[in-house]
Amino acid sequence: MSSRSFMTGLLALALAWPAGAVSVTTGTGNVVVFSRADLVDVVGLLRLTGAEVNFSPAAGSYVAANGKHDVQFTPGGSLAVVDGNLVPLPGPVRLLEGHVVANLTVATALLAPFGWAVRGGPEALQLVAVQGSVPIELSVVQSASGTLLVVRGVSTTPRLSRSYEQIDLTFPVRVTLTQPVAPSGGLLGAEIEDSTLHLRLAPGLDVVTTYPLEDPPRFVLRLGPAENAAAPVQTPSGPIVVLDPGHGGEDRGAQGPGGELEKDITLAVARLTAAQLQAAGITTRLTRDGDEAISLNDRTALANRLHAVAFLSIHVNASPAKGARGAETYFMNADPSDVQAAQAAARENAGSPPNAVQLILWDLAYVANLNASARLAGLVQTQMNALHGIPDRGVKQAPFVVLVGATMPAALVEIGFLSNPDEAAKLVSPDTQSAIAAALASAVTTFVRTPATTPPPEATPTPRP
Amino acid sequence: MRPRFHLRAAAAALAALALVAGGCRRTPAPAPAQPRAAVEPTPAPTSIVLYFPGDDTFLHRETRDVPELPTAVESRVRLLVSELLAGSRQGWAAPFPWPVSVKTVFADKSGDLFLDLSSPPPDVIAGTEGEVALTYATVNTVIANCPGIERVQLLFGGHEIETFGHLDLSRPLAAAPALVAP
Repeated sequence: MSSRSFMTGLLALALAWPAGAVSVTTGTGNVVVFSRADLVDVVGLLRLTGAEVNFSPAAGSYVAANGKHDVQFTPGGSLAVVDGNLVPLPGPVRLLEGHVVANLTVATALLAPFGWAVRGGPEALQLVAVQGSVPIELSVVQSASGTLLVVRGVSTTPRLSRSYEQIDLTFPVRVTLTQPVAPSGGLLGAEIEDSTLHLRLAPGLDVVTTYPLEDPPRFVLRLGPAENAAAPVQTPSGPIVVLDPGHGGEDRGAQGPGGELEKDITLAVARLTAAQLQAAGITTRLTRDGDEAISLNDRTALANRLHAVAFLSIHVNASPAKGARGAETYFMNADPSDVQAAQAAARENAGSPPNAVQLILWDLAYVANLNASARLAGLVQTQMNALHGIPDRGVKQAPFVVLVGATMPAALVEIGFLSNPDEAAKLVSPDTQSAIAAALASAVTTFVRTPATTPPPEATPTPRP
Repeated sequence: MRPRFHLRAAAAALAALALVAGGCRRTPAPAPAQPRAAVEPTPAPTSIVLYFPGDDTFLHRETRDVPELPTAVESRVRLLVSELLAGSRQGWAAPFPWPVSVKTVFADKSGDLFLDLSSPPPDVIAGTEGEVALTYATVNTVIANCPGIERVQLLFGGHEIETFGHLDLSRPLAAAPALVAP
C-alpha cells in the first residue's frame, strides 16, 4: 500500500452481503473483512490502507496511524479525533460480535485522513485513493508581537511538528500552495510535500504559539526566539502526561491581595511537577513553558496530538467567600442532559466552527474517560487534602472548557485560594510550590503506574493484507 | 481572561418571549374529573430557596419567605436575582461580585431558561470558585423555584458567552446538586 498516494483506485472488495464473508481483492491476494448488513469492519478497512490500528486501554479508544496522520475513535461514539482535532462522524462506530464496525459513510470518514475512500454498495466495494488537493495560501504578517505566518484555505487545524530549523504542518488532505512564498520575516522558504507544508525558518527562530481563526478559517503561527517555543509535538515512546499551567500572557487569571498572579504560580508549580514526573520516568509536556497566551482549545489539542494518558490543568482559585481555603479538583460534568444538548448541538452545527464541534466532545468523555477522570481527580484531591490538612470534600464535577476537548482522562486542580490572604502568601513561596508539585506528581504517578484498565473488545480478527 | 461572546441567542429569545407570559409552570395536562366539589386552588407558595457560596467551597441552601411569589417567569426570576443580590441572611458570601441587574428573561418549550444579566466589569469574576458561585448559585436558585425549568443559560449584556475562563457557559446548564453542601 505504499504507493497509495499515486493510485486512482484499487482494492476491489467483493462483499457477500449480508452473510458476513467479505472478500477483499488486492494486488497480492484476497483478504476477508467482517461485515453484517450495511456495517463493515472499519479496523479491517483501515489496515488495508497500510495504517496501524491499536486499542488504547487508557483512552478506551482505537488509534489508527500511518506515520503522517492519526485517527482516534471510540466504539459507541460518533466522533473521531483526526490529527488532534475533534471531527464529528456522520454516524456512530459500534461494536458488533467483537468487531468494530460502522456503515460505509462513517467508514469513508475514517479513511479520508489517510487519503482513501470506500465506494460501492452492499454487493461490492472498492477502496479508492482520493485524488486532488486543497489549495492553501501562506502569507507573512509583521505585527507588534513578531512575525505571524497565516495559512488560509483549510478549516482543520494542521498537526505541527519540528525538525532542525524547519516546521512541518501536516493537513488531513493533500494541499498545494496557490502562489510561491517569498522569504520574509524569518521565513526562508515554504514547500509542499503531499499533505505537509514545510516551513524553513531563520536560525534561532521557532513557532512560539499557534491558534486558529474563523470567518474565514485560518491557522496562525507566531514566530519568536527558539527558547520560548511551545512544547514539541513529536510523540516520544512511553506514556505521556500533559500538564497545563492555567492562564498566561495577557490572561493573568486570579490575583492575590499582594499582587500574586495565578499565571505565574501555575507555571512554577507545573514546571516543578513536570521535573518530578520526568525524574520518575514519566514523559511530561507542558502546554506552555513561558508567559504565553494559549487558547483553551490548543491546550487540550496538544494533549490529544500527543495521545497523552493524562491531562492535568493546574489553576489557583479565587472565591467570593474570603475564608475559602484548600484545594479543589474537578473533572467533567456527568449530567446526561448536558450530553444530549451537546449531541444536539453537534447535529445542528456539523461543519460549523470549532466552538460548535467542541460541544459534542461530551460523548467521548462519557464513553471512554469519565471513570478514569474521576480516578485521576480523586488521587489528586487526596494528595492535596493531605497537604493542606483539610477534611476531604471529595472531587467535583463541572463543565470546564479546557477539559471538554480532552480525549484522555483529564482533571483540573485548584491548588489553593489567592482570595485568601494567608494562602496567597504561601502559594508564592518556593517551598509551598515544591510541596504542591510533589503532591501532584505523586498522584499522577500513581494514576499512570496503576491505570484502571478498560478491557478492549474481542480483537478484530481481520487479516492484514 | 476576557469573555468570548457569541451571537446565537437572539433568535431563541424572540421565539421564546411569547412563552414568558405563560409563567414558570409548563402547561399542565388536563386534570382528571373530580367526582365531588371543586378542588380548592393551591395557594401560591411564599417561600423561596436561594443558594449562596460558603467558605467550604460549597453552595448553601437558604430558605426565606417573600410577600408574594409572582407566577410569570420573568417576574419570578427578577425576584430571585434581587434576593440573591440582597445577600444571605445567614452569613454566606455574595454570588454576584457586581451590582447585577436582570435585562431579559425568556424560556423555551424544552424547559431551557435564558437569563440575560448586565455585563460584569472587566476582571471582576476571578477563579473557578468565583465562576462556580456566580453560575450555579443562579442556576440552582432559578431551577429550584421555577417548576418546569430544567436548565438555565446565563447571558451577559445581551450576548451569549463561551466562558469567563473556566466554565463552559455557551449552553444551558442543569442544576448541580453535588455542588451544594450536604
